[in-house]
Amino acid sequence: MHLIASTGGKGGTGKSTFAVLLALKLSNQGRRVLLCDCDVECPNDHLLLQQKLTDSEPIYQSFPDLDAEKCVSCGTCSKVCRENAIFWVKGKPPIFFEDLCSGCGACWIVCPQNAIGRKRKVIGETFKTKINENLWLLTGISEPGISETGPVVKEVKRRALKFAEKIDAEVLIVDTAPGTHCNVIQALLGCEKAHIVTEPTPLGAHDAALILELLRMMDIPSEIVLNKADVGDQSVIKRISDEYGVPITIRIPYSEQLIRAYSAGRLDRMVGLL
Amino acid sequence: MKIVVASGKGGTGKSMLASSLSLLFSEIKSIVACDCDVDAPNLGLWLGVTAYDSVETISTSERAKINSEKCTGCGKCFDNCAFGAIEKINSKFAINPLLCEGCGVCQLVCPTKAIDLAPVMNGEIRIKKTKWGFPLVSGQLKPGEVGSGKIVQELRKKADKISHDIMILDAAAGIGCPVIASITGCDYAVLITEPTPSGFSDLERILEIVNHFKVPYGIVLNKWDINPEVSRKIEEWSGEKFLGRISYDREVVNSIVNLKPVIVSKSKVKEEIREIFEKIRGFI
Repeated sequence: MHLIASTGGKGGTGKSTFAVLLALKLSNQGRRVLLCDCDVECPNDHLLLQQKLTDSEPIYQSFPDLDAEKCVSCGTCSKVCRENAIFWVKGKPPIFFEDLCSGCGACWIVCPQNAIGRKRKVIGETFKTKINENLWLLTGISEPGISETGPVVKEVKRRALKFAEKIDAEVLIVDTAPGTHCNVIQALLGCEKAHIVTEPTPLGAHDAALILELLRMMDIPSEIVLNKADVGDQSVIKRISDEYGVPITIRIPYSEQLIRAYSAGRLDRMVGLL
Repeated sequence: MKIVVASGKGGTGKSMLASSLSLLFSEIKSIVACDCDVDAPNLGLWLGVTAYDSVETISTSERAKINSEKCTGCGKCFDNCAFGAIEKINSKFAINPLLCEGCGVCQLVCPTKAIDLAPVMNGEIRIKKTKWGFPLVSGQLKPGEVGSGKIVQELRKKADKISHDIMILDAAAGIGCPVIASITGCDYAVLITEPTPSGFSDLERILEIVNHFKVPYGIVLNKWDINPEVSRKIEEWSGEKFLGRISYDREVVNSIVNLKPVIVSKSKVKEEIREIFEKIRGFI
């Protein structure tokens, strides 16, 4: 199975639009495709495909749960917490700040009294949607207020790989969040190719260079998809393309028709653009 | 006074608006502008900044390293890592630097003390006195590193030390750690969206965060004329929180190509942004 990513660094360049168009194009050609929306903080692929998300499958993570009866207020837990999520004053039991907790488990590992248990908390959910005979969508979405969304993406990807096998998909397309940090890295892991969707502005070039740095570190071959290719200044992207030795393989012109189709959830009419 | 510009969805015009608001507020108060999108910082480009006065490399995270000579291959680190950052290579284990969050759990469970943690220089804080008279504090998380939220906290501390009446913060896209670190402690949030189903859906997501921190907010609708019907819906839904509309204008693209804030361009949107500014001024 082929594992392909749509990413780009900058937001709003058309990552989801490209991922959806590519998924529709390949599935129209008769290939079995799973599209996986890994922009779990703000997933939009289902909206572009006019789908409602139903049949949620929750994603859980363990968080500390203090047993006050067992706790002897020693403070060992607060000393190992590198997120500063445990507040402790001598002689008092610790206070846990869930907003800051990453769920790493250091506190329950070190507690000499075994006073810290684990409680399961929902950190996100996934949804599977059948789009047509050849195309499925797996959407990941994080619980609002969850700060570290990398673990959510990790589980979304794991489920996508499993589901792709089950439906015998030939291609798994991963649509990432903007940026370059952990949620994007988790989405890009294991991809054999990345499409960097960008726009011909200094902003697009600046952020494309950052994601290209990351892709280089991850040893993932890349291609540039230039969206709104005729608006702005193409030379800035050409420079990045030369500098990183990454070709511009697809140019999508600015099109009001595309904007309308995007807005109306009818990207299926625009597959000809690729 | 701290005003944050946020959106959930990327590419809705956060930095475009934050740069213009910075110029407008600087006409009446002393300000400091903060680029809190440390993954992909763009506010500097909108303000015409191509080089910085000072660049400081910082460390907000640590990373584990396994000494392969001491590693017996027991796998306790692998079993306990919540981030999937430990890989099995032959019969021993190694850290995947891209995934290690530096939490230290592996070090705690290793029976042979084969694991050490060391600080990583994961980011930069850059300061520039812009040609518009006010300073910009910008952060950059190095690609492949972790800890974007903590870099935002550090750059906010730096900005706090610079004398100012108003701090303008330009947040990243999304609703995760760097965005939470940008919104927390702010006095007002300007939420900018676009009239598409995605823009609307992501606006609702960012609102959950803004409401969680009880930050007063207003809503700006950018490129409203690409879909007047959805625009009407968002405007009605926003009610008294609605701050104003900004038109779609290709002149905005020319602005950024020339590294100029739209407020000093020829674009018609500058009048619309000025009206939004006046409204925000009234609220704060």
